[in-house]
Amino acid sequence: MAIKKSKSIFEGEIVEKIGEVSDEKYQLLPENEELLYIGKEINRYDGYEKVSGRAKYTFDIKLPNMVYAKIIRSTFPNALIESIDSSKVKETKGVIEVLTFENTKDINWFSNKSKLFDNHVRYEGDEIACVAAKSERILNEAIRKIKVKYNELGFSTSAEESLGSNAFQIYDSGNIHKGKPDIYERGNIDDAFNSADVIVEGKYSTQVVIHNPTEVHCSVVYWENDKLIIYDSTQGVFEVRKRVAEALAIPPENVRVIKKYMGGGFGSKLEAGKYTVMAALISKKINRPVRIALDRKEMNLAVGNRPDSIQKLKIGFKKDGTILALSHDAKASVGAYPSGGGCSWPLRTIYKCENVKTTDYSAITNTGPIRPFRAPGHVQGIFALEAIIDEAAEKIGMDPLEFRLINYAEKDQVWGAEYTSKLLREAYAKGSEAIMWNRRNKLPGSGKGHIKTGLGMASQIWWGGGGPPAHANIEITKEGKITVYSGTQDLGTGTYTIISQVAAEILEVDIKQIKVVIGDTEITPLGPSSGGSTTAPSIAPAVRDAAEKMKSKLISSAAAIMNVDENKLLYSRGKVTEINGNMVLTINEIIAEINEPKLITKGSREENLKGYITQSFGAQFAEVEVDTLTGYIKVKKIVAAHDIGRTLNRKTLENQFHGGIIQGLGFALMEERLVDSDYGKVLNTNMHDYKMPTMADIPEIEVIIVSKNDPKANNMGVKGIGEPAIIPTAGAIANAVYNAIGVRVKSLPLTPDRVLNALYAS
Amino acid sequence: MKDFEYLNASSLEIASKYLKKNINSFPYAGGTDLLGLMKDYIVSPDKLVNIKNLQKLNSIYFDEEEGLKIGALTKLRDIEKSDIVGQNYSALKEAVREVATPQLRNIGTIGGNICQRPRCFYFRGNYDCIRKGGDTCYALTGNNKYHCITGGDPCYIVHPSDTAVALLALNAKFKIFSNGKEKIIPAGKFFLLPEEDESKENILNRGEILTEIIIPPLDVNVKSSYIKIKERGTWDFALVSISAVLKLNKNIVETGQIAFGGVAPIPWIDNSLNQKLSGFMLNEDNINKLSSLAFSNADPLEMNSYKVIMTKNLIKKIFYQYL
Repeated sequence: MAIKKSKSIFEGEIVEKIGEVSDEKYQLLPENEELLYIGKEINRYDGYEKVSGRAKYTFDIKLPNMVYAKIIRSTFPNALIESIDSSKVKETKGVIEVLTFENTKDINWFSNKSKLFDNHVRYEGDEIACVAAKSERILNEAIRKIKVKYNELGFSTSAEESLGSNAFQIYDSGNIHKGKPDIYERGNIDDAFNSADVIVEGKYSTQVVIHNPTEVHCSVVYWENDKLIIYDSTQGVFEVRKRVAEALAIPPENVRVIKKYMGGGFGSKLEAGKYTVMAALISKKINRPVRIALDRKEMNLAVGNRPDSIQKLKIGFKKDGTILALSHDAKASVGAYPSGGGCSWPLRTIYKCENVKTTDYSAITNTGPIRPFRAPGHVQGIFALEAIIDEAAEKIGMDPLEFRLINYAEKDQVWGAEYTSKLLREAYAKGSEAIMWNRRNKLPGSGKGHIKTGLGMASQIWWGGGGPPAHANIEITKEGKITVYSGTQDLGTGTYTIISQVAAEILEVDIKQIKVVIGDTEITPLGPSSGGSTTAPSIAPAVRDAAEKMKSKLISSAAAIMNVDENKLLYSRGKVTEINGNMVLTINEIIAEINEPKLITKGSREENLKGYITQSFGAQFAEVEVDTLTGYIKVKKIVAAHDIGRTLNRKTLENQFHGGIIQGLGFALMEERLVDSDYGKVLNTNMHDYKMPTMADIPEIEVIIVSKNDPKANNMGVKGIGEPAIIPTAGAIANAVYNAIGVRVKSLPLTPDRVLNALYAS
Repeated sequence: MKDFEYLNASSLEIASKYLKKNINSFPYAGGTDLLGLMKDYIVSPDKLVNIKNLQKLNSIYFDEEEGLKIGALTKLRDIEKSDIVGQNYSALKEAVREVATPQLRNIGTIGGNICQRPRCFYFRGNYDCIRKGGDTCYALTGNNKYHCITGGDPCYIVHPSDTAVALLALNAKFKIFSNGKEKIIPAGKFFLLPEEDESKENILNRGEILTEIIIPPLDVNVKSSYIKIKERGTWDFALVSISAVLKLNKNIVETGQIAFGGVAPIPWIDNSLNQKLSGFMLNEDNINKLSSLAFSNADPLEMNSYKVIMTKNLIKKIFYQYL
């Protein structure tokens, strides 16, 4: 173990962190076919608990003497609050406490540009007050009695309005997030476009979509003297601990954050929420546990979204298909308190091209703040990029797949690093074979009849290599109980399961013997937030490190017990055996003999290999049917062929792909937050009007993994998979729709009205 | 939602009298629409009168003389499963199958489906719109993608019911309990355009209860069907829907009636279109011509001109089935 400053990539940012890393070099793990647990269809560690209803999610936690809290939110998109009259709320029988900016000290929020309770509300849904009462029913009635005097201000609900010359400036620093557009440039695009044989340009747009995880954002909090205990539905227990401690000006050690089971986050639960801090303040004041759970309307207004985009792309290439220049100008409406933004990364990285320029404007708007949403930027970026690539190929009469192969990048385009592995070519080959790519319409739209079928594809690139610091401890007690502790968390993706698989595989014990404890800042070593598809590639190697060290510890324990040299001993299948076969000790026998209550080893993620970058790759192929009389699209099949390094669990892997593809299909075909721009209010805040895919919309899905291992990525050969699954889906569907009808719909979602309007405009 | 009193009605008479007497009271059957309206504070009744226990209104009865009689409290799911309905009135079966989801059809009633309130964002949202007693229709200048293309002035909702469209095409009649008596009116006279009354969607006054749906018997050579276009596979209201009931003699339509959903504030009949159906010869040219002439007076809003195309195309689609 050593403390080092090491690099990793989180959603396109190179992150340098100083922390403990493992310097052990382990032997290459055999391929999955030769392994016991890794890569197999292992049932979920928590499957029984979940399907039997026993699993307690944060939402389910009830503590003695607990009260319920709810936030009162702005009904206007941009306003200064002149006064709040909460007397009628307080008078309601059963109401216990009301917090507003008038009775709460200032707590800075959003990089000190706003406050926990700000008297300037910047979107419909911005927090105004927090009320606690005996029951949720009382709360829902009581909060309607608040009287807020607003001084309404001008507002913008879209990037175009917000960046216009007459727009109201939402912050003193202006309406462009971070003050200026994010510009990236390499080579010289002007010269390159001038020398191109063919230039294709296009304008594409995508809509705002909402995360809508199954479990709403919620916290249950209480104080034990100076110590705050938080049950939170979060993607980062350590992040919540840090942020809440900061907000309350208490040491992080005085905050314990626990998250056992969770119904999804998709990026919307990466940050600590205001609601948690408000609940903590109320709890402190009344000295009772407080539960705060958002309702579905709040989920659709106030906890994040994928920003919309207006993207102008330009591609210059030679007659033989070689790309010479790419440019990308994008605008996005990022809401009032954004985090993240930009959608040009795929264009910068996926194809070989020396001359690239991208410009991303993130426009602050009076709408709900954006948050990272499963492959932020890439989902909308790939839709536009893969559309123009298809258009370019068509222009020179080339198979779109061949066009992509001609421009295949053998190494990273931005930092010049080598890839730890890249099997995109194999993904193209296997995917196109499975969908029977040669069936596609050579002349788009040439099918007979009013129901037309088409095939389309899109590529995927993402980071998802993970990195340090990420730790896992293994503990074996006198009873022989093996427990893995790690400060990561399971969002529903299967983290519990893969940790138990890695530990069981390396220790060569029955997987049922492994207990996993994660998501608790008090009793687990630090784990990273679960985002950027970094959990498996960060944590699995740390678990292996701890397990390998446990094997060494068991050998040295056995050596001491047997009075033989360690070199004479071998570890195999939960036993330490003398090479000559004379003596054998089981784990339980070893533990029983030593004068320690338990054996503990600490495992850590190793550093990433210098000069290399870990990226995942893949391609998805879609088969669609379009009714040209009604504009209705039915997706018949999606083939997902991906390079993800080593598969840890075939079942949870397929789950991830199914989830990502269904979410991508929702983005392609139906999901859309609708805002009334005259009033600055969201029109569809429930699960009926905000249309997500139903079982009836889900196509046949075939998942093909073309990779076996990525030894250069980490000791387990794993790359992240959560985000790659969604990235190419919408692009593939949109390209298939074009292939079916011969008309390109450049604006998502591809609802019947857009398809019909496009068909009948031509 | 607001607290309310809950009463179980033991007879239709008692329910009707009570509802008439108490101003802010509502009949409660399946509740799939009413509870949503209450949770969104669109209506906040003081009293709910549960009529689910009125067993007489929960039945499907068929005889060849009088046709099909469906009690208003019959669950949509029971209609969907009924062989009588399936064999004789496929348009109704197809329409019922398009309503919401199996879970909602297990509790939602046919009467409630016909009497449900519109889904307009502004009506269901926190807007003082004309249907709720305000003086403007927000959809006219706002998001009107899902709104009507005809019959709108001064409120541009569409009627949300699937079953009502099929029933209209099937020439159904509705039995209404009113002031201790029963009256029967044609489905076409049941619904109200906003120009007649912008505050409600049908003629029912307080205390009046829809009790039965009567569909006349159909000749053996009558074909009926329902097609609904939505934005996803299930659990979605119609962008546009169509129901056609056609008496066919080989490739000639002897008589026919077509009704539309999703195009107007009421389930819609275009009389001039239906007049063209007597003696209509089924071939692609004729169908396309019929389609091209339909809805020529439609007056779409900024975001819903696609509905005109879709409606015309649905005429083609429903006739193409019989080519």
